[in-house]
Amino acid sequence: MKSLSSYMIPIAVGALYLFLYIPIFVLIVFSFNANAFTCAWTSFTTDWYADLFASTEVWHALKNSLIIAFSSVCLSLTIGSSLIFFGSRDTVKRLLPFFYGSLAMPEIVLAAGLLSFFSFFIVPLGAMTLIAGHTLLGLGYVIPILYDRFSELDESLIEASYDLGATQKQTFFSIVLPLLMPALMASGILVFIISLDDFLISFFCAGASVQTLPLYIFAVIRTGASPMINALSTIMLMVSSLCVLLFSFVHVRKLRTPE
Amino acid sequence: MKIKEIVTDFFAENAPFIFVVPAVLWQLFFLYVPLCLVVYMSFQYGAEITGFTFDHYKLILSSSPYFYIIGRSVVIAACVTCLCLMCAYPVAYYLALKVGRRWKNVLLFLLTLPFWTNFLIQIYSWVFVLDQNGLINMMLLKLGIIQEPLHMINNTGAIFFVMLYYYLPFMIMPLYSILEKIQHDLLEASMDLGATHWQTFRRITLPLSMSGIKTGVFLVFVPAFGEFVIPSIIGGAHHLFVGSLISHYFLVARDSQLGAAFTIVSGFVLLVCALLFNWLCTVPLQKVQKAEQKELAS
Repeated sequence: MKSLSSYMIPIAVGALYLFLYIPIFVLIVFSFNANAFTCAWTSFTTDWYADLFASTEVWHALKNSLIIAFSSVCLSLTIGSSLIFFGSRDTVKRLLPFFYGSLAMPEIVLAAGLLSFFSFFIVPLGAMTLIAGHTLLGLGYVIPILYDRFSELDESLIEASYDLGATQKQTFFSIVLPLLMPALMASGILVFIISLDDFLISFFCAGASVQTLPLYIFAVIRTGASPMINALSTIMLMVSSLCVLLFSFVHVRKLRTPE
Repeated sequence: MKIKEIVTDFFAENAPFIFVVPAVLWQLFFLYVPLCLVVYMSFQYGAEITGFTFDHYKLILSSSPYFYIIGRSVVIAACVTCLCLMCAYPVAYYLALKVGRRWKNVLLFLLTLPFWTNFLIQIYSWVFVLDQNGLINMMLLKLGIIQEPLHMINNTGAIFFVMLYYYLPFMIMPLYSILEKIQHDLLEASMDLGATHWQTFRRITLPLSMSGIKTGVFLVFVPAFGEFVIPSIIGGAHHLFVGSLISHYFLVARDSQLGAAFTIVSGFVLLVCALLFNWLCTVPLQKVQKAEQKELAS
């Protein structure tokens, strides 16, 4: 009886992982299928990849997405860290619930609100409005993460630095900033991913002039998909898993060096 | 010279204030002002005619289709949340307490990997699998199990299934991080004192993981309630949910006033659901605990 129950959970976990990965495997395999209309396997081809690299629309959308994501990361990190670094702890603690607002409601409410805000004040929709929206989303993650790390910071280190004659500037750049670097990196990457992946705010606030990658993908899916999307997703999956592996490798090495 | 001094003095004195302001202003301008604007718009007649009115609310509260749509969203979000919790808890428990360190890292990496892919692509891949000439139908036809392709897409079941798939990691993660903090000693102590597996789970593990359950339910229920993308890709155009109706009013029908009123009503329903869940988590649980304590005392 015990052996049965001790095998039950591992099997269930395995089934769940299979469930999570089936669609991804299917996508990858069929990005190499020559048959564009059904799942019937005809022959191996890399045509869809060639199409993808030849398509200007995809690269244009990717460029827009990257620009928007990069600007939102810079803005939300600057704004967020200046609040955390320069605000007194009491102020930040009291303000914290104020920044949870964007996480506590469905994104569609946020997007509808932003759209009505921009149209009420006659702000032309475009990359700028998207950056504003994504930065707002980002702040909701950056501020709690940075606050957590900042409040765990050992204050005696800062006092020691002052005692040893360092100026405020020196203390900040050689003590506080390096200690908070992992949190800054982590929240920056998170905001980057969120912005790159965001669909709803882009859908509402992009207007007709800007196309981001998710908007492009959605349009293609809606109008009848082409295996080019499979090829695109395979490449994106490869790049992102490589990034995750690299990131976790660096992280693990950093954790191990002190020993 | 004087002016420069004054300026530097001002900055030195007010530095904390100056650096706090941008974050607050950003949040205020792009979150709270828009929300107030939505509330304001919901009381307006229309884009051209200005004036205060309750008409949009009257329309929404008096016609049943709106109720059906909100009710459908609540039901599907609640079902997805419950099923997610039931599937995610054993997995999180296993990952946190049963797996060795090396495997744990691999399994966690595999769990987070789908997070890093575009979520539209994740959803689209299910279209590929479930479609009329998709993978499952192809295989079943080839094997001769069915003669006609099954209709597995464009229905509520498919929407439910894909939502379950998409939100599962959002439930596993908070549960895992809270279960990982539970000390093995506590569980061992409970077993040493003669408690069964079930009693240990019921009295030790479950109460300690309550905050993780709350976070997970919150992370799944709120976005699932306002889901727009999954119904529109998987469900075709026929299955309206709160998210699809809001986007219809704002982007297609251009009736922002009615859309704003509908947003407010559904936001209110969401708030009621959240408060109800919070009440369910605290009040009956405390009652049960009190009853147990009395039993133990007597």
